[in-house]
Amino acid sequence: MLRDISRILVTLVGISCAGVSAAEPPTTPVMSTTELANWIDERFAETWRKSQISPPEVVDDATFLRRVYLDLSGTVPPVSEAREFLAYEGGHKRESLIEQLLSDTRRPQKHSERTAAHWATLWRRMMVPGNSPEAQAAVSLEPWLKDQFAANVPYDQMVRQLVTAKSDGQAMMTIPANARGSSSPAMYFQVVGGKPESAANAVTRMFLGVRIGCAECHDHPFAEWKQKDFWGMAAFFSGVKNGVINDATPAVIRPENSAVEYTAAFLGSHEPVKTNGKSSRETLVDWMTSPGNQEFAATAVNRVWLHLIGRGMTDSVDDLAQPSDGERVVLDELARLFVNAKYDMRWLIGGICKSQLYQRRCVDLENDQSPPPGLRIVKTLTPEQIFNSLEQALALPVARADGSARFNGLRAQLISRMNEAASNRPDEFRAGIPQALLLMNGQLTTDATDLDRSRTLRGVLDAPFLNTEEKLTTLYLAALSRIPRADEQKFLLDHVSRQEQINKQNQAFAEIFWAILNSPEFVLEK
Amino acid sequence: MSRITRRDFAKLSLASALGVSFSGRLPALVRAAEAAPQHKSVILLWMAGGPSQTDTFDLKVGHPNGGPSQSIESAVPGIQISEHLPGVAKQMKELAIIRSLTTAEGDHDRATRLMLTGHRPGQEGVNYPSLGSLFARQLGDESSDLPHYVSVSPFRFGDAGGPGFLGPNYAPLVVSGDSSDPEARANLTIENLKPPAGVSKESIEKRFELSKFLQDDFHKSVKSQSAKAHKANFERAERMIATNAKGAFKLDEEPAALRDSYGRSRFGQGCLLARRLVERGVAFVEVTLEGWDTHADNFNAVKRLSEMLDPGWSTLISDLRDKGLLSSTLIVWMGEFGRTPKINMTTGRDHFPLAWSTVLGGAGVKGGQVVGDTGKAGTEVANRPVKIADLYATLCASIGVSPDHENISPEGRPIPLVDRGGKVVEEIAVTPPSAKEPRKS
Repeated sequence: MLRDISRILVTLVGISCAGVSAAEPPTTPVMSTTELANWIDERFAETWRKSQISPPEVVDDATFLRRVYLDLSGTVPPVSEAREFLAYEGGHKRESLIEQLLSDTRRPQKHSERTAAHWATLWRRMMVPGNSPEAQAAVSLEPWLKDQFAANVPYDQMVRQLVTAKSDGQAMMTIPANARGSSSPAMYFQVVGGKPESAANAVTRMFLGVRIGCAECHDHPFAEWKQKDFWGMAAFFSGVKNGVINDATPAVIRPENSAVEYTAAFLGSHEPVKTNGKSSRETLVDWMTSPGNQEFAATAVNRVWLHLIGRGMTDSVDDLAQPSDGERVVLDELARLFVNAKYDMRWLIGGICKSQLYQRRCVDLENDQSPPPGLRIVKTLTPEQIFNSLEQALALPVARADGSARFNGLRAQLISRMNEAASNRPDEFRAGIPQALLLMNGQLTTDATDLDRSRTLRGVLDAPFLNTEEKLTTLYLAALSRIPRADEQKFLLDHVSRQEQINKQNQAFAEIFWAILNSPEFVLEK
Repeated sequence: MSRITRRDFAKLSLASALGVSFSGRLPALVRAAEAAPQHKSVILLWMAGGPSQTDTFDLKVGHPNGGPSQSIESAVPGIQISEHLPGVAKQMKELAIIRSLTTAEGDHDRATRLMLTGHRPGQEGVNYPSLGSLFARQLGDESSDLPHYVSVSPFRFGDAGGPGFLGPNYAPLVVSGDSSDPEARANLTIENLKPPAGVSKESIEKRFELSKFLQDDFHKSVKSQSAKAHKANFERAERMIATNAKGAFKLDEEPAALRDSYGRSRFGQGCLLARRLVERGVAFVEVTLEGWDTHADNFNAVKRLSEMLDPGWSTLISDLRDKGLLSSTLIVWMGEFGRTPKINMTTGRDHFPLAWSTVLGGAGVKGGQVVGDTGKAGTEVANRPVKIADLYATLCASIGVSPDHENISPEGRPIPLVDRGGKVVEEIAVTPPSAKEPRKS
């Protein structure tokens, strides 16, 4: 369904005409995250009532625990925390856990740091999608992104830093393959292509939810973007070239083999911009992040929603020109609340997680149909989430000196293999045979299921205070964050008790652990 | 064109088992199935680094640019190739040499991406699928137990060869022979196909039995596309392990003399593996011979490489013919670019995309001919330039795929198999009917 493109034009052009220095719209008091959660639930209750949808029930504690851990800190919880959470009988335990994962900086867990690292990975994956060498080089953006998320820098300010980043006049010709700690946001322009065209393409897609790439060579086939729109945006980035990320004055660009020169103009407006002494990219980001620019906030909200719920509020988070006005109502309202909350990411994430909507069971979708709005769908773990979860479940050492998988190549091998089949859409499972074989027979799994080398198996099987049932429960908690149901326990423990010798029984546990690590439940999030 | 799938067969045999008499269309379908062409495949012999055309297929004997390389007559009168490729020379009736390929990428990474996707890298921001993935999609049999695209010990400059926007169903299954031991190198195998040493067969069966219980349980309560995809993929991987990939990798089943004649190099044994995979219905196999980046000491290096290339390639042709597979298998020999005709200061040759050679054979290729020439000095195309899009169109035509076919990128853009303007080299292959086939999903 193609929405009238003129609406975006009105929004975008309207802003540019009004000028960015105009008085900010009157603000209302910022909601608390609990109020935001309630708002979300009320809003969707109405939607569901109208479409006569009865939403699924709220999930049990164990499902919530694994879900919120994976979504916020990108890993499954440690056994001890899972036990504690499941046993706790006080009130507000879900809200407290969400707060803890988002904001708790205390050692040893350093929850907020892990959460920041996970969201840096998610954001990097969206900014430079795919599995090209450039996409891999974009990993070097993560330290910078992590700092932003860890400090909860308002989203508009984070994007401002990124869009106006410079490489200090130095060429960034070479991209370090394993750059760690290199944290210049200017790297972004390099990895997306290092040209004004690629910068315009990437920035409008990522931050405004508009795909204008087709208009580079010809007028857009189904939206109203013209080559003028594309090159008008590209002109803002005319200082991005030959590996140097800088500003150019005047902001003009002439495409290769073209006689026409284009002056910087906001998307949808063919009026050359007045920079009033500011750099071209500052002028652009003023316009992008001005409070009235609905597309900027809506795109951000949509991307957060995608990662928490499994799909965006609209079908494509990269292309807000597609949905109809009706399909965008709630998204636009939430976007306005986000602007009112001064682009507070932690507030947005926390509010969504605290809603009942977030905590409901995933909707059953056996066919290729679209799920009703606001209902969760089963998600596939990202390559990093798979590694983090294995690291947690297998109790792998994390220090370099201990031969940690983070440093000895096993992490890199797993992530690179999984990346070959990773999707940008959380609802898609795309892994192929090489990925399955790696999880079945690769080194990490081999060590994890070896009675001498597996830390988890040794810890569980050698513990004199655990009976057979408790041993199984511990393996379940380590990998799946839940306690096995009675029928599962019976089936699996039958397998153990068929053996008489203790070493055969241990071998049976190793086989069970292998099956758990290779189960769909381990690589999917329900 | 009606292709009978295994499912159709199942339906047909069910119909006869039930004693249903079918009239009209069905008998015709049975006949069509009996006469149906066998599975089509493509084998790419990838010469990583960029092979020197002047010392392989476009010699300049007598010209200073020719250097010490000498030519021999081939089985086709008038066509001469390098003296270090005697086996290939004998098979010249099957081969068409294009001596006038002209491209515009002289950097390993970019040129590799150009040659393996048919599009200039980074063009329009599209993540182009590689040749292997394109043909895997066009020719692959959905019901096959083996993957559609197998890459034998790949070595490439840069990250090419992947499925691009076609997704992991069309990603290569990588077969490694990675070891410094020359004997072990020829023991090609799939990474992680074998369960780790020390785990008993019984234990492996137990793992899968337990696994099945956990999976069935999960699928009872979770209904999603992702869960279905996990199940399908898990089962394929399990089948690969259980059947040891249909025995495709058991090269020791082959007569020792045949293995010898392929050459006991990783490349030679890779060619043999390619034949075994093609026999089992794999649509695209890539076999790599690396080391062609001969900036120095070109002539010794090319001789050494030719001595591995020649037995592998020539035996592949004769073996495919013996097995009745040559007419359904296209063999492509190419690298990312050619090398400068002029010899440099270190007796080497540098990157040269302007005028270079590639060789096609088998399937619909009209063999025994040379297309184009590069004049006396080899410095430019003198006649009949062939561009990358023309080459891709010709590959498609040779294996009976319409070059007009379009794939749809995730953004909904139709991306043609062959870049706009590509024309089939008509001397080599006949353009198949351009009627657009319904897209396989």
